[in-house]
Amino acid sequence: MRKMQFRILFFGLCLMLAATAWQAIGVASNRTSNLQTKDSGTAVGGAVADFKLPDVAGKEHTLAALRGQKGTVLIFVSVQCPVSNGYNKRMEKLAQEYKARGVNVVGINANDGETPEMVGEHATGAGLTFPILKDKGNKVADQLGALVTPEAFFLDADNKLVYRGRIDNSRDESEVATNDLREVVDATLAGKPAVKTEARAFGCTIRRVS
Amino acid sequence: MKYLTGNACHRITALVAPRTFCQWFDSCCSCHSWLNVFLNRYLKRLALSAIFSITAFLIIGISAVPASPQARQTKRVAAAKSSVKTTPQKKAAMKPTVRVINDVELAMLLRRDPQQPRPLLVNFWATWCVPCRDEFPDLVRIDEQYRPRGLDFITVSLDDVSELTQNVPLFLRQVRGERIPAYLLNAIDPDAAITAVDNMWRGELPATFLFDARGQLVFKHSGRIKPDELIAAIQKVLSTE
Repeated sequence: MRKMQFRILFFGLCLMLAATAWQAIGVASNRTSNLQTKDSGTAVGGAVADFKLPDVAGKEHTLAALRGQKGTVLIFVSVQCPVSNGYNKRMEKLAQEYKARGVNVVGINANDGETPEMVGEHATGAGLTFPILKDKGNKVADQLGALVTPEAFFLDADNKLVYRGRIDNSRDESEVATNDLREVVDATLAGKPAVKTEARAFGCTIRRVS
Repeated sequence: MKYLTGNACHRITALVAPRTFCQWFDSCCSCHSWLNVFLNRYLKRLALSAIFSITAFLIIGISAVPASPQARQTKRVAAAKSSVKTTPQKKAAMKPTVRVINDVELAMLLRRDPQQPRPLLVNFWATWCVPCRDEFPDLVRIDEQYRPRGLDFITVSLDDVSELTQNVPLFLRQVRGERIPAYLLNAIDPDAAITAVDNMWRGELPATFLFDARGQLVFKHSGRIKPDELIAAIQKVLSTE
């Protein structure tokens, strides 16, 4: 009888300890989530809803009209950010190369303070021939959770988000070791699953409307 | 591989069991939908519990093992880190020196010394980043005000290594930030460095992070800092230490 009581007591104690640990981990997770102030936007694997934005001439375009047959690369760009500007040639090359393969590149400028005129002049000067849309109220930046320039989002033929993040690992083209965006697009075009779905790099904060 | 992409049952069985077991488990798992619901809902907590246990085990194990090459490397980085800690008077007389670090050394810098626990403020910036330059004078003032009260503050530049002796020290001198330990991050994979600081950070600059004396992230801000907000967070963390 005494042995039985001891067993019950021991079992109860174990249960209490487990419950305390469970609760503590739960509290710790909640505390961490308090710091997660940024909405991450569309999750990888989720479908990107159609949107409508004007180009630098004010003409409205929908994602449905601009998307490529086999996929679309949306890149958040900037007029003034040196990191974004460091990628101008690479972005243009990407757009030219993949257009023939059914993937369209579309630029989006969501920076508050960079007017359509500035974006247009900058694109001409930098030799960017792919369409660049002006996201004046950060509507699409918020929808996708874009925070940095340059930041790329690759959508497959069904507009599902396959990859988000950097174009490659280095602002300096001579030090590029991983072509993250190209690897994902190539894999998707070959019918293979993407090995990497997200990769980050340092860039300029997208200036949002206050 | 099929089992790694399936539901929570599959993910767990694929990790711990051979394929034949997975197939058997697969055949009966669908009958136990409650088990799937439970695992899907609490998988994160279970994983965290497992990580805690493994970490504790590793810490105990490592502390018992004699000094390995990795430990010597750690000591070397720690020695390099302490070499930056010269007296304020000496620093004032010096030109600002900026030390190049990689992602591993950055992670080491973020660790707090249990012998002398002090909260740590870290600012990531670059000379090409306008809001970074704009906020720097505020950060220098905060450093002057709170370092004597127990706050450590370091700056990490994301400039190119070629700026190590050029624009980075020049700017630091201009804003009178010579006394603040300055580093330049040269990481092959920026993602690893970003993760070392905060997994939720997407790499936008400027970015400011405040860690408490135990190394726990307690405050972060992307974009130009709001001095009042940052000061309130610093005061809070100093008062709780």
